[in-house]
Amino acid sequence: MTLYKTISLVSFLICFIILTFHFLRLIRLGSPKDYSHKKGNLKAAISYSFTGAMNPLRKESAYLHLPTYTAGILYHSGTFISFALYLLLLFNISFTNSIQWILVCFLAASSLSGLGIFVKRIALKKLRHLSNPDDYISNLLVTVFQIFTLIVLVKDTSPYYFLFVSLLFLYLPIGKLKHSLYYFSARYHLGFFYGWRGIWPLKSRGHIK
Amino acid sequence: MKNSNEKLNEALKVISEPQDSKLVTYLNSCVHCGLCAESCLYYLATKDEQYIPAYKVDLISSIYRRYCTFTGKHFPKLTGARLLDEAMTDEMTDQLFGSCTLCGRCTKHCSIGIDIAYLVREGRKMLSKMDIVPAALQSTVNAALNSGNNMSIPEEEFRDTLSWMGDELKDEVNDPQASIPLNVPDVNILYTLNPREPKFFPLSISAMAKIFYAAKESWTISTFMYDVTNYAYFTSNDDEARIIVQRLYDEVLKLNAKRCVLAECGHGSRVFRWEGPNYIQKAFPFDVITSVELLAEYISNGRIKLDKERNKELVTLHDPCNLVREGGVIDQQRYILKHAVSNFVEMNPFGTENFCCGGGGGQLAMSEYNERRMKIAEVKADQIRKTRASIVVTPCHNCVDQLMQIDNKFKLGVQIKTLAEIVADAIILE
Repeated sequence: MTLYKTISLVSFLICFIILTFHFLRLIRLGSPKDYSHKKGNLKAAISYSFTGAMNPLRKESAYLHLPTYTAGILYHSGTFISFALYLLLLFNISFTNSIQWILVCFLAASSLSGLGIFVKRIALKKLRHLSNPDDYISNLLVTVFQIFTLIVLVKDTSPYYFLFVSLLFLYLPIGKLKHSLYYFSARYHLGFFYGWRGIWPLKSRGHIK
Repeated sequence: MKNSNEKLNEALKVISEPQDSKLVTYLNSCVHCGLCAESCLYYLATKDEQYIPAYKVDLISSIYRRYCTFTGKHFPKLTGARLLDEAMTDEMTDQLFGSCTLCGRCTKHCSIGIDIAYLVREGRKMLSKMDIVPAALQSTVNAALNSGNNMSIPEEEFRDTLSWMGDELKDEVNDPQASIPLNVPDVNILYTLNPREPKFFPLSISAMAKIFYAAKESWTISTFMYDVTNYAYFTSNDDEARIIVQRLYDEVLKLNAKRCVLAECGHGSRVFRWEGPNYIQKAFPFDVITSVELLAEYISNGRIKLDKERNKELVTLHDPCNLVREGGVIDQQRYILKHAVSNFVEMNPFGTENFCCGGGGGQLAMSEYNERRMKIAEVKADQIRKTRASIVVTPCHNCVDQLMQIDNKFKLGVQIKTLAEIVADAIILE
């Protein structure tokens, strides 16, 4: 294993340990104890929280903002793929030409989406009002990560790639990127809350077409 | 008396010593995407970015970052971490008390799934620990704590009103034995009231009494503790909320009622049914339901019969946020109206998607923000106008009050009724 790969692996481990600490803290704190009489089906509601409730037709933040929603989905998919590719590249696993080009095309689309979201954050007054430096840095880091992954697939620039990934791994658990962990906990709690009271899973969309 | 440093520490403990993983989760989850903006009445009515729900979330989470995270402690500018100082508390008061009805619509649509209304209440709790609560809102809580009801209605006046309503009931049902039973033990139902009813809308009490009469129900009202509201929920003062919940809990046990039926009050029903057991840290040994569920039950099991032809005007329904989106009573009011009125039209959107009337979250009690409250009400006025209905039914007395003000300000020409009133109008007495 090269020095660069080793550095990235160490960074990955640091990131993993810090996120594990966050995760263990959530487990230690546990779910809220609710003394009221449960009305609904918790399992169904928590499952709905991760599925039906995320349906863009049911989510105003999605159907009122379809271009942003689509870009967000692409961007996040690209991030997951890039992390998976990092692990594969770490162990020198290569791909057939066709798979390689499919990945390149997808990462081109996802990183463009990331750039689009970055530009939107700069351009819109309401987003600037909400944003702090961490928002811009996180967005940019992940976008460049995807671009780097794309480049490394077609051209061997692995030293720079692995150094950049190291930086990303070190930044991830200290800024807003740690929502990659807290997102799942948030969906769980929301499903628990609405499920306990029998509100989720929802039957009606609540709109007249 | 605590000094300001002690109060500050108490406030910070809200976020630094969480009781469970829910608060920590939500404080670490917002990505500032801003997609919640259009879910908020305040933003929709003003297009002012300070009203974006994510900004309200950030006020609280920025304090968390400043005091509870490595990055926020050492590089506050990087993550926008902020001190809990006077400027911050001023902004929090204006944003968390004055610009949020706790309707929870943003929660439902948050792209991450953050319970934003819950976080706003945690922010209010921090302010409350520092004794920073809008005066009019706190005086409503004080009235409940000191007199047993939030309008400080003396017991004699309350008894007089109910006696008068009892006489009205006798006339209406043409039965000299009909009455509004007070403090009767061992009944099926202890019925609660919103103090607005005896004070301003006593006919809604006689409407419910008529329904109980028709259903041949065994019921009572307590003259000691009948107030369903709990404004300490809005100030997020858990100790005061606990006292109010405990009183009603004790009264149900004292009268040995099988069920506690919560009057048409969105937040009141939510607080006693869903939050109440958590305030007093024990499960209720009796059944708690809302009057909306009870009415639906009466209709479905044939205990009351309705003639919907008696309500021929076009009726629409306003869904109170705490009862519907946050309380899960979604279909019952529609089932009731299907049997009680001949012309019904939904608002758009409706149910769990419905917009708040603008009076929630304690807004009606905070005169400081009256102008803002009526500004955001244009969203609801527009919704009502589009239905072309002449009657707006809502199972919440706070919503009734706000909707009456909306009707007056926006010249809608609609009548506002509670569900009990519309059912009482349609009831067939055998």
